[in-house]
Amino acid sequence: MTGRPPPRLRVTALAALLLLLAALPAAAQTLPTGRDAAESLRFPRLEFTPVEAEQHRIEGVEVIFARDPALPLVNVFARFRGGYARMDRDFYAAATALPTLLRSGGTTTLTPDSVNALLDFHAIQLGFGTGGSSSVSSLNTLTEHLDAALELWTDILRNPRFDPDQVEVWRGQELERVLRREDNPTGLAFSEFNRLMYGDHTIGWEMAPADLEPERLTGDVLSLVHGEIFCRDHLILGVTGDVSWREIEPRLRAILAEWPACPRELPEPPPPDIRREAAVYLIPKALNQTTVVLAHPGGIRQEDSRDYYASRIGNSILGGGGFSSRLMARVRTERGYAYSASSLWTAPSESEGLIGAVTQTRAGSTVAAVRTILEVMQEMVDERPTREEVSDAIDEIVNGFVFNFEHRAQIVSRQMFYVAEDLPANWLELYVEGIQRVTPADVRRVFRRHLRPSDMTILLVGDLEAFDEPPESLGPLRILEPGAPVPPR
Amino acid sequence: MTRRACAACTAATVAATLVPLPFAAPAAAQVPAAEAEAPAQARGGEELPVVEHTLENGMRFLILPRDGAPTVSFVVHVAVGGVNEVLGSTGTAHLLEHMLFKGTTTVGTRDPAAEERLFARMDAAHDTLLGELARPQHDSLRAEHLRERIAALEDSARSFTVSNELDLIYSRNGARSLNASTSSEATTYYVELPANRAQLWFTLESDRMENPVFREFYAERDVVMEERRTRLEDSASGRLYEAHLATAFQVHPYGVPVIGYMSDLEVLTRGHVEEYYRRFYGPGNTVVAIVGNLDPETILEWADAYFAHLPPGETPPPVLAREPVQRGERQIEVVYDAQPELTIGWHIPDEFHPDMPAVGMLSSILTGGRSSRLYRRLVVDERLAATVSSSSGPGARYPQLFTIGATPRSPHTTGEVEAAIYDELDRLRRDPPDERELQRVRNQLEASRVRRLGSNLGLAFQLAGSASLYGDWRTTFQLAERYQAVQPEDIRRVVEAYFTRENRTVGTVVPVERAPAAPEEGDDDR
Repeated sequence: MTGRPPPRLRVTALAALLLLLAALPAAAQTLPTGRDAAESLRFPRLEFTPVEAEQHRIEGVEVIFARDPALPLVNVFARFRGGYARMDRDFYAAATALPTLLRSGGTTTLTPDSVNALLDFHAIQLGFGTGGSSSVSSLNTLTEHLDAALELWTDILRNPRFDPDQVEVWRGQELERVLRREDNPTGLAFSEFNRLMYGDHTIGWEMAPADLEPERLTGDVLSLVHGEIFCRDHLILGVTGDVSWREIEPRLRAILAEWPACPRELPEPPPPDIRREAAVYLIPKALNQTTVVLAHPGGIRQEDSRDYYASRIGNSILGGGGFSSRLMARVRTERGYAYSASSLWTAPSESEGLIGAVTQTRAGSTVAAVRTILEVMQEMVDERPTREEVSDAIDEIVNGFVFNFEHRAQIVSRQMFYVAEDLPANWLELYVEGIQRVTPADVRRVFRRHLRPSDMTILLVGDLEAFDEPPESLGPLRILEPGAPVPPR
Repeated sequence: MTRRACAACTAATVAATLVPLPFAAPAAAQVPAAEAEAPAQARGGEELPVVEHTLENGMRFLILPRDGAPTVSFVVHVAVGGVNEVLGSTGTAHLLEHMLFKGTTTVGTRDPAAEERLFARMDAAHDTLLGELARPQHDSLRAEHLRERIAALEDSARSFTVSNELDLIYSRNGARSLNASTSSEATTYYVELPANRAQLWFTLESDRMENPVFREFYAERDVVMEERRTRLEDSASGRLYEAHLATAFQVHPYGVPVIGYMSDLEVLTRGHVEEYYRRFYGPGNTVVAIVGNLDPETILEWADAYFAHLPPGETPPPVLAREPVQRGERQIEVVYDAQPELTIGWHIPDEFHPDMPAVGMLSSILTGGRSSRLYRRLVVDERLAATVSSSSGPGARYPQLFTIGATPRSPHTTGEVEAAIYDELDRLRRDPPDERELQRVRNQLEASRVRRLGSNLGLAFQLAGSASLYGDWRTTFQLAERYQAVQPEDIRRVVEAYFTRENRTVGTVVPVERAPAAPEEGDDDR
């Protein structure tokens, strides 16, 4: 701090300095900054007891609850085991439309306009969505409107009207989305890559005009699909916010007692048959920048516990860990080829996932960027990562553990996911413990076992004429037409 | 413009990023009665126990202790952005934001002196390159040779560099959300840390403010060009956004893209960015908001101990450009290989003008939710459009633009959608909203006020942004009262005043045949 003496005070320079020093609080002493100072800091232990959600059972339905009186708001979450991935393709459009149409299509006693007016007037927020194998909805309301909000929300979830005008609005919007699919090169690359790798599996499905024929979206079809998904045996509930269990329990009991049971258990999505083909596919498009997606089947499942944890740390070092990762360092920071470069290594519980990478680079560095990615991958196969890389990736997870407990809603949603996926309630703790045991040798082992840079299926969306060199140098080249049948495996 | 990459980023999200104070900002004065056991957070935002502290060098700190998980959110808001640039060097503010993640004289380096020597050599080569390119018929071989030389020197310098070390130090300490963003008039740096590691922020950020080193400059400039390609050039929405702003603003720098023109990015120099940093990044131009599970006394001590010694810096020159009154409708077309889009902009006042609460209410009446007038008419009743939205921007400090955007639903045209939008605005002139319609909007604003209190990082953004824009962190909370006071007649009046034919700029994306075509000449940099 460099305080100035008052201008009218006539004192000697020394006296002024003494006065000034005397006026400074002890804390004003400048402390050292920079790397060495940062690394020499010793932090106190984090005082922190994670909030634990309660788990109840009402009418056979699991209910996760955590009170949070900080704000006058209540959140209720519903998760249904069911979605398009558990149904035939004939129902793809209906199961995809359901979340939106529940929100927009009115109820048997309320027109869509009446629903909108009530929600808007009370400023109730509803969310609806589907991830394919499950469907979700959420309610967020000021506590003062809780009863009205719960009544309306359960009416929407249980007694949909599927107003034909609203069905037609959704159908038209979806047809428009299909029409505009090629306008976004990155989105196009991702969806076409899924189609290429997974074929006619639910992961590879892409909405087509044939799915959106009116007979696929009649009131009868929608009601049938609704009855199979949004039924009580598929439901897990979560509640958090400014309400006690004593207050919410009787309300939930009344709601769930009348909720219809499910007509049948929906099947698990079938296991995918993922393409295994070292080849380069090109979607020609006059663009300044090429979108690159490359991958091969990942070989890891969540239940392969030791390899699973090593693959999480390995992916973080390869390209999942943001700026600290090798792909970002090489492709972006060093070469300036791309704004973003990242790896993926998915490890679903039910089936095999993918291992690969994604970037976007100017057309004139397309092949160079792909080569750089493959080189970085090969290095992961050839050499174990440094001890620091592994410990940094572990430290990020361990030291940031508290961020898993910032919001009660986050805690409740996570616990609902564990119930849905049959994971132990302490899965997060088990995960962090497993991560901490990973060594550089483990990471090398999983990469040697599972990563084969020369086996990648590579998709490029871009302007072939402007590429730095022919992409055939990366493997046999095939042209892919968006939406057209993919070559057989 | 953010530094971090985002796989799904589109120009639409860019447009949203560039609107720092959208109409979602206001809060309401009517606060639900706090529950007996509810802590201080449930009270009105302007009553939050924010500790204010201004250092003698002018740097302002806003500190808000909150209950909850032991985490702390940090936001540094520097009142500088695209409007502080001049033609020929657009994109400087944003490139500087990227460069401030490159480390300091101690972070990110093994030998800063060796690096400096190489910077001088590569910058000299770059100056020679610019001289060569300025010649009417430049020698492209010589230019290529110079580019290769610059790249080779940067590779040599890299042997003394520890790339991304700032990010690495934060990450291994469990940080989340480390990022930054640049808009027309603000540059914001943010991160969240476990509460026990809060001191790390002071150690690193004081150093970043005092001793930045702009290493890996030329590679990072390439990265920004890639960002421009992703967000603006290979996106119909991005191109429309850029062309529309450039047409609506012909004098004020709001018309210039924050990310910069490609030809400017190609010639920006390290020296230019350093100069810009020195001029605009003084502590007096900076507000810091720190929100979370913290002890204000300790935070205050650290604020003094780490930042008080910094010199005050220069006072940034004011932006004096003023957009002349528009005297007639302007139209702009972007011909592109994509489906049609429509955007219509009307000049409106800056955020301090008394009409702005009514303009904000108008935005909600037109496009806020499924009950809004344009959604009902365009999307549901007449099914002319798949989507419709509205916003204000690209900044808030200066007279700005109210924009309505829509995507027509095939086979309907942008012309049909446009006509319906004008008709709805005419209807508002004749038939202003009733009290219930206004109350619906007020209720939504009130609920959003409460919801925003749920996020420490969100609150830190709001405190710092409000203090920087209005001079007081309370003001955005207090705007609620101004919204409550808006009457139907105010809505009619602002429609009458601003939403005229002469005052509007209409932009459309016009599809070309979906046949392969060469990229536009001059788009590619090398």
